[in-house]
Amino acid sequence: MELSDANLQTLTEYLKKTLDPDPAIRRPAEKFLESVEGSQNYPLLLLTLLEKSQENVIKVCASVTFKNYIKRNWRIVEDEPNKICESDRIAIKANIVPLMLSSPEQIQKQLSDAISIIGREDFPQKWPDLLTEMVNRFQSGDFHVINGVLRTAHSLFKRYRHEFKSNELWTEIKLVLDAFALPLTNLFKATIELCSTHANDASALKVLFSSLILIAKLFYSLNFQDLPEFFEDNMETWMTNFHSLLTLDNKLLQTDDEEEAGLLELLKSQICDNAALYAQKYDEEFQPYLPRFVTAIWNLLVTTGQEVKYDLLVSNAIQFLASVCERPHYKHLFEDQNTLTSICEKVIVPNMEFRAADEEAFEDNSEEYIRRDLEGSDIDTRRRAACDLVRGLCKFFEGPVTGIFSGYVNSMLQEYAKNPSVNWKHKDAAIYLVTSLASKAQTQKHGITQANELVNLTEFFVNHIQPDLKSASVNEFPVLKADGIKYIMIFRNQVPKEQLLVSIPLLINHLQAESIVVHTYAAHALERLFTMRGTNNTTLITAAELAPFVEVLLTNLFKALTLPGSSENEYIMKAIMRSFSLLQESIIPYIPSVITQLTQKLLAVSKNPSKPHFNHYMFESICLSIRITCKANPDAVGSFEEALFMVFTEILQNDVQEFIPYVFQVMSLLLEMHKNEIPSSYMALFPHLLQPVLWERTGNIPPLVRLLQAYLERGANTIASAAADKIPGLLGVFQKLIASKANDHQGFYLLNSIIEHMPPESVDQYRKQIFILLFQRLQNSKTTKFIKSFLVFINLYCIKYGALALQEIFDSIQPKMFGMVLEKIIIPEIQKVSGQVEKKICAVGITKILTECPPMMDTEYTKLWTPLLQALIGLFELPEDDTIPDEEHFIDIEDTPGYQTAFSQLAFAGKKEHDPVGQMVNNPRIHLAQSLHKLSTACPGRVPSMLSTSLNAEALQYLQGYLQAASVTLL
Amino acid sequence: MPVVNELSERMRKFKNKGKDTAALRKQRVEVSIELRKAKKDEQILKRRSISFSLMEESPSLGEDKRNEIIQLSLEEIVEAVNGSNTDLQLQATQAARRMLSRHKDPPINQIIELGIIPRLVEFLTYADNAPLQFEAAWALTNIASGTSDHTKAVVEGGAIPAFISLLSSPHMHISEQSVWALGNIAGDGPLYRDALINCNVIPPLLALVSPATPVGFLRNITWTLSNLCRNKNPYPSLGAVKKLLPVLICLMEHEDKDIISDSCWAVSYLTDGCNDRIQIVVDTGILPRLVELMASPELIVMTPALRAIGNVVTGTDEQTQAAIDAGVLAVLPRLLQHGKPTIQKEAAWTLSNIAAGPCRQIQQLITCGLLPPLVELLDKGDFKAQKEAVWAVANLTTGGTVEQVVELVQSGVLRPLLNLLLAKDSKTILVILDTISNIFLAAERLGETERLCLLVEELDGLEKIEALQTHDNNMVYRAALNIIEKYFSGEENPDLQPSSRQDGLYDFSVEKQDFNF
Repeated sequence: MELSDANLQTLTEYLKKTLDPDPAIRRPAEKFLESVEGSQNYPLLLLTLLEKSQENVIKVCASVTFKNYIKRNWRIVEDEPNKICESDRIAIKANIVPLMLSSPEQIQKQLSDAISIIGREDFPQKWPDLLTEMVNRFQSGDFHVINGVLRTAHSLFKRYRHEFKSNELWTEIKLVLDAFALPLTNLFKATIELCSTHANDASALKVLFSSLILIAKLFYSLNFQDLPEFFEDNMETWMTNFHSLLTLDNKLLQTDDEEEAGLLELLKSQICDNAALYAQKYDEEFQPYLPRFVTAIWNLLVTTGQEVKYDLLVSNAIQFLASVCERPHYKHLFEDQNTLTSICEKVIVPNMEFRAADEEAFEDNSEEYIRRDLEGSDIDTRRRAACDLVRGLCKFFEGPVTGIFSGYVNSMLQEYAKNPSVNWKHKDAAIYLVTSLASKAQTQKHGITQANELVNLTEFFVNHIQPDLKSASVNEFPVLKADGIKYIMIFRNQVPKEQLLVSIPLLINHLQAESIVVHTYAAHALERLFTMRGTNNTTLITAAELAPFVEVLLTNLFKALTLPGSSENEYIMKAIMRSFSLLQESIIPYIPSVITQLTQKLLAVSKNPSKPHFNHYMFESICLSIRITCKANPDAVGSFEEALFMVFTEILQNDVQEFIPYVFQVMSLLLEMHKNEIPSSYMALFPHLLQPVLWERTGNIPPLVRLLQAYLERGANTIASAAADKIPGLLGVFQKLIASKANDHQGFYLLNSIIEHMPPESVDQYRKQIFILLFQRLQNSKTTKFIKSFLVFINLYCIKYGALALQEIFDSIQPKMFGMVLEKIIIPEIQKVSGQVEKKICAVGITKILTECPPMMDTEYTKLWTPLLQALIGLFELPEDDTIPDEEHFIDIEDTPGYQTAFSQLAFAGKKEHDPVGQMVNNPRIHLAQSLHKLSTACPGRVPSMLSTSLNAEALQYLQGYLQAASVTLL
Repeated sequence: MPVVNELSERMRKFKNKGKDTAALRKQRVEVSIELRKAKKDEQILKRRSISFSLMEESPSLGEDKRNEIIQLSLEEIVEAVNGSNTDLQLQATQAARRMLSRHKDPPINQIIELGIIPRLVEFLTYADNAPLQFEAAWALTNIASGTSDHTKAVVEGGAIPAFISLLSSPHMHISEQSVWALGNIAGDGPLYRDALINCNVIPPLLALVSPATPVGFLRNITWTLSNLCRNKNPYPSLGAVKKLLPVLICLMEHEDKDIISDSCWAVSYLTDGCNDRIQIVVDTGILPRLVELMASPELIVMTPALRAIGNVVTGTDEQTQAAIDAGVLAVLPRLLQHGKPTIQKEAAWTLSNIAAGPCRQIQQLITCGLLPPLVELLDKGDFKAQKEAVWAVANLTTGGTVEQVVELVQSGVLRPLLNLLLAKDSKTILVILDTISNIFLAAERLGETERLCLLVEELDGLEKIEALQTHDNNMVYRAALNIIEKYFSGEENPDLQPSSRQDGLYDFSVEKQDFNF
């Protein structure tokens, strides 16, 4: 493309079309631009347009297009063609800085971004003039230009804040410092002077303060990695000026906006960050300045208002004090009683107040409010910062601080008592203060775990919390209700049990509150109380103690799901699950109604599943209903199937992907409840479960394998007789799973169930193929996980079909195969098998090979007999070998080709551990001794001689122990 | 200032726990890039000029006082130096030396530009005119004390052989002056250092060391010897080191603290490198003396002794063991609590390398009571020292046994460690996250994962790790995410199963091949 007027005209036309709302016009234009962007001069045409076009929209559009073009194409990727020709690159770098600086702000921003993208690739080596060019502009005196330079510098340098130290990075920083630090310092001083000469010119001040903010940000970036020599030498200049800027106020810079932080606030906030950086990293050098900053920041806090726009500044400032007051060598700055009182009174208490913005969030954005208040995503809030400061001060001054605050708490409570409906916020602050003062350590699971011993939590609870919750109206003062419920929740481990029991009906009552926050908190508090542990690993609160409240609890919980805004409230659903689990058989009378409500809910949310947690707890609740009921009355399983299968069918038919893994788990649970042969309703579904499309989704694999296992356990004979033509499909699933390093263990689960339960004749024709398949995996891509599963499987096979059958089938695949597997796989790897049942299977299988396999006694395999015995004794006695070869270390993370939905296992659909040799063998060591004894009676003299020739002494000693324990001797 | 090398390669090693502990050890490598100001307590004065105030104490000053002071212009100096009048030569050389001895901005460049250096070098050979030799030597010493270019001018003027022969001058003040000049030249870098060694500077220099040598002179000799040991790429030759070491070791027994300090610096340079170099020092049996000096109340002695021992423990397990056997673990607790942050930092660095050793060395570290001061330092130390302490903890959790990790946790390491997740240093954060993972691995083995989770949450660690999931540094963010997903992802454990790529219908069939495992 030439740099011609015609091309400029064409480009203008196409750019205009890309702004068209009609996709039929817009899309082709975008396509066209994409198709020509590889041409030489294309970027230069864009730069010309953004500079010279008559129309402002075209200028802006060209600048955005240019930036995106740079973003996509500038980086030179190894082994890929250079997408921008060299002459264009040179021309862009030569022109972009002056162009950026002379452009109006909207375009300047785009170009500044483009510069930083180019800079990330080219600076400093391939763009040596950039710094000088920028620094020279500082002299211009034009603050529009200067701010453009500063903004660009900021986007170039801000990566110094997070990158790792390296020679390359530090070389660049050093280069930047050499060229930039002095001019920046001079600019800083000059700008501050200009601020005082223009103290009465609002528009000039705005520009100057924008510069100061950028300068302060650059200071932070340049000082982040280490304290540069230049800044150490010029610390006086910078810190003195930062300090005076912190104390500066100018009416002209105050904004009317309550929400958006103004320039002054942004600058002071950045200065707090800069001071905090120095205090943390360069304490030794910064020490002389620190006390001044503490005073200035504290004064700043005392004089800053409650508006939202100050939030960031205030929380930054408080966090600065909190981090300093914990340091032993600055303790003295806070020690004085007056100082402490004043910090408590003027900094902490005001910032704990419940503000209008909080009230708004409580009412209108309760989800967000709950997340902040309950789940601790409140890191940047004022309340949180104040709370951190309390904890910081308590490190050295717990007594005095507690004393000071007790006074405040009392007076705030008195204020409240005088006129609750007007002064309820005082009580809120009092509760918050008590909470932050008392909590020293906290977890979601247990609430507060360490409390300040100077605060009497129970007394406060009885005198100030319970009365609110006992009030007749659940909808009065909702904030205080929420505070009270939260108090129970977090101090549940500090308040005595009898008080908790008193609270339970109160909490159940508040499930009916209209306020989302209040009924959510009530549900959450109940859920937390129900998970508390008492003695003997039982729940603290027993089902018996809850007996009087079962009906009202269940009623209110399900009713709460009908309150506006809570139809998919995960806290309520979790409380339902927890109540079921705690109450156990006492819920049985209510099950008919409960299961109806749960299936209706399930049907409703399956239209558009959007709350994963809610859904999960809902399925858990369904599982619990089934388990609890069927435990008492196994025949009830039919009525659950009746209630659920219709919804399940709909979910499967509509392919509700989020729910399908859950449905399989619930079905497994139901099927396992059956005592007799598998019902025909399940058999009808069997062919569908083998559909490849289901197995392509990873989330389905574990629950589907489990479900097929349940089919095999309950219906192996039915499958063999009525669905024999589906056996290849079933084995196909196994083959599919075994091919994947990630899923092979699932394949083995399935295979083990097939071998264990299917009538032998039904799988006869496939057996050889199964082994060939396994040997192929073993040969081509064996992993430790595969070998472990393989070992368990062949031993299970040996137990089921006999050792001779195992040897025969191996050797029929390839001569001497059996010996090779023994020598190369079983003997060296058996130590890696983990799990009690798995080890037992292997022990019994190997015992069979040793004692029930004639070729082991009279062929060339005989030489492997003692090593195999030794390996078996090793399996019994040596610690598990859990080394994993290097190349496998990261297998499950890195070999994941774009995983799909995660599979969420339902805890209450859990499968019992299954021990296929449980009946047969109790103690595998004794079993070995007895089997050896039997073998030695069959061929007297052989066994002792094999033992004495090559079994090592230690193994022999163990073996003698087994023989003794079994009271047998070898002949 | 030397800086600890923190290769990102290291980070991957942490995951392969116990695979290659030797690779975990941090080598001190010369980093050419330094943003910081050089620190005052380092032996930074690789060059020393002689100003008037310094000379005030010097016995050789008497001579100077006898002469009346004559002011000369630069032109007059050139003329006189190049002339043949010996009195004027002396006067002019003295005048030049005076200018060069000025405290502030000595006019080194102007003097060089006069082109009189070759002439001054020639004066060095005037054995019959000792005063002129002395003045010329002094002037050249001060020129050589300037920048690298200044030193170069002196060397290119042919001063090296002249100064070396002056070492054997019958006049002590002249030979002392030559020691000084040679020290400045040696300190310039490996090139001139080796040039001196190749000109055989060592024998005459060592010959000056005797019980009769005055302390002031001996200080200068020691300093020059230390500069002959200084600098890497390349190291001084093995032959030279072997000649220097026995004398340095004697000097380390001297009672003068400056002499001890410089001889310790010399040993610290010799140990600052590969294990073969360290071994030469270890073989001399000097480690117990170095450890003793580490405990010295004199900062200028303690600093280089600590540096030398710190270097030794970057070596092999056996070399580290030699330092342990010399008693380093008994001295370190005090140094970890030292008032000066740089000492804390160096001590923690030393400890971090011992903690990178095999578990029996870690056990010795624990038995000698190093954990409490380490935790204390992590909690309250200066940031530079905290960073090193983090490495020490990281190394311990990488190479230590489960029991040792338990002991570490029981010493209260978690609280300060988790607090440091707020550090403004991406690398430190990443190392802490890896350490936390290591501790979790130990907890898993003990079946104590849940308890550790609660402990981390109680100590406000969980929210800090959660916050790091939005960190700008990719590795930090991923490490944080891993911990959260693995240990804190709530009651529903997402069991991430990858999909398989084999496509088509499930047709159970297989072709036989030959197997050989």
